[in-house]
Amino acid sequence: MRKARLHRIVMCLMALQVAMPLLAQEQPRKVTPVKPSTNKVLTPPKGTDEKIIQQYLTGDTVQARAQERKDSLAKIYPHYPKLTELSLGLNFGDALMMAFGQKYASYDFSATLNMWNRFQPVLIVGLGRAKETPEDMNFTYTGKLSPYFKLGANYNFLYKNDPQYQLYAGVRLGYSTFKYDITDITVSNPYWGEIGIYELNGVSSNALWGEFLAGLKVGIFSNFALGWEVKFHGLFKEKKNDSGKPWYIPGYGARTGKWAFGISLYYTIPLNRSRWPVKEDKQKGKREVNGSRPITPPVKD
Amino acid sequence: MILTAAAMASCGNDNCMGNSSGIPLAAFMEGNNKVTLSDLTVYGIGAPNDSAIIRNTSASQVYMPFSITETTCSYVLDYNGTEINNDTITFNYEIIPYFESRECGAMYNFKINSWEYTQNAIDSVSIPDPLITNSDVVKINIYMQ
Repeated sequence: MRKARLHRIVMCLMALQVAMPLLAQEQPRKVTPVKPSTNKVLTPPKGTDEKIIQQYLTGDTVQARAQERKDSLAKIYPHYPKLTELSLGLNFGDALMMAFGQKYASYDFSATLNMWNRFQPVLIVGLGRAKETPEDMNFTYTGKLSPYFKLGANYNFLYKNDPQYQLYAGVRLGYSTFKYDITDITVSNPYWGEIGIYELNGVSSNALWGEFLAGLKVGIFSNFALGWEVKFHGLFKEKKNDSGKPWYIPGYGARTGKWAFGISLYYTIPLNRSRWPVKEDKQKGKREVNGSRPITPPVKD
Repeated sequence: MILTAAAMASCGNDNCMGNSSGIPLAAFMEGNNKVTLSDLTVYGIGAPNDSAIIRNTSASQVYMPFSITETTCSYVLDYNGTEINNDTITFNYEIIPYFESRECGAMYNFKINSWEYTQNAIDSVSIPDPLITNSDVVKINIYMQ
């Protein structure tokens, strides 16, 4: 008798063991987030998306957490489209530098293609000129208005942020072909009591150089931005003349100088704006998707 | 920021490291070593007021500036106080107008095409690099007997 009862209990337990997993597979489990001790409903973090809040309220925490993780990853790794924006720039830094005594100027237009808000190929076309009669020296140097070209790329360190704020490093390869005159030359030869007077007119030369640079770009209003660049450069190759070396190279600056500085005004044309990542306004706790109206989180009771 | 940039942009070689013009520097040699000649006078033939580069001085090297209006220049080495007759060295050269840099300015370089010399105390004269620039290095070796 006792043995038969024990046998029935064992049979029931075995049947339950088989049936339980089958019952569990019938539908996904939905759990309302409650703290076991207080029985209080957990509220999602402040600023959580409306869609996720609704998922929490309906008890679909699995889906809500998956979406939260996806959004969180998107914040950490915002993905800008391949063609993010095109910037057209005017470098007028030398105009300011001339006010501080610089005797040469290079002005250039640049086109920068911002790719993934990270890599930025740059093409620069410009014109440069110089005019200098140094005190206590025996010549006047005139660098004729001549063209120069630069090709290079930037790497934007703030690629996770809005493209209107950029901190970047870059490289450039520059080339210029140019002419210059050196006039009013007087050379004295005290021992022989002679004075030589001559001019070097229409001397042609060319130069190939490289630059390393660091830059900052800040949006000022609408699609306009200002940029500052500090450059360290060196000559790779230059045409040698019997009559000497140039003092000024368009786009490079003084031949013996190693540093240069640039200020540019940019106009930016956004590309594929609809594919830019979501921009979040932290102060207002609102989310804005590509300029559409903000989504307000539900008010708590 | 602009002032800093202006200072950085002006960074470069602000001083001329060479001479203000191309001047040949000649050294007196015995074998591979420089030798000092005592009581030496060096002057250019035709120099105004018979001026000398050095007069009655001990020297192991001497600058011999070339004329910039002639393409030939002769210098006399007078070994005062000795019974050795004077030596004369004559240089034939091209005059090359040259702009060195903003710091050094415009000048003349010279390319020595040929040279002649007497051999009273001089054994030979060699000029391995005939281009005379403003760099302060010996370009003419005068080997003494």
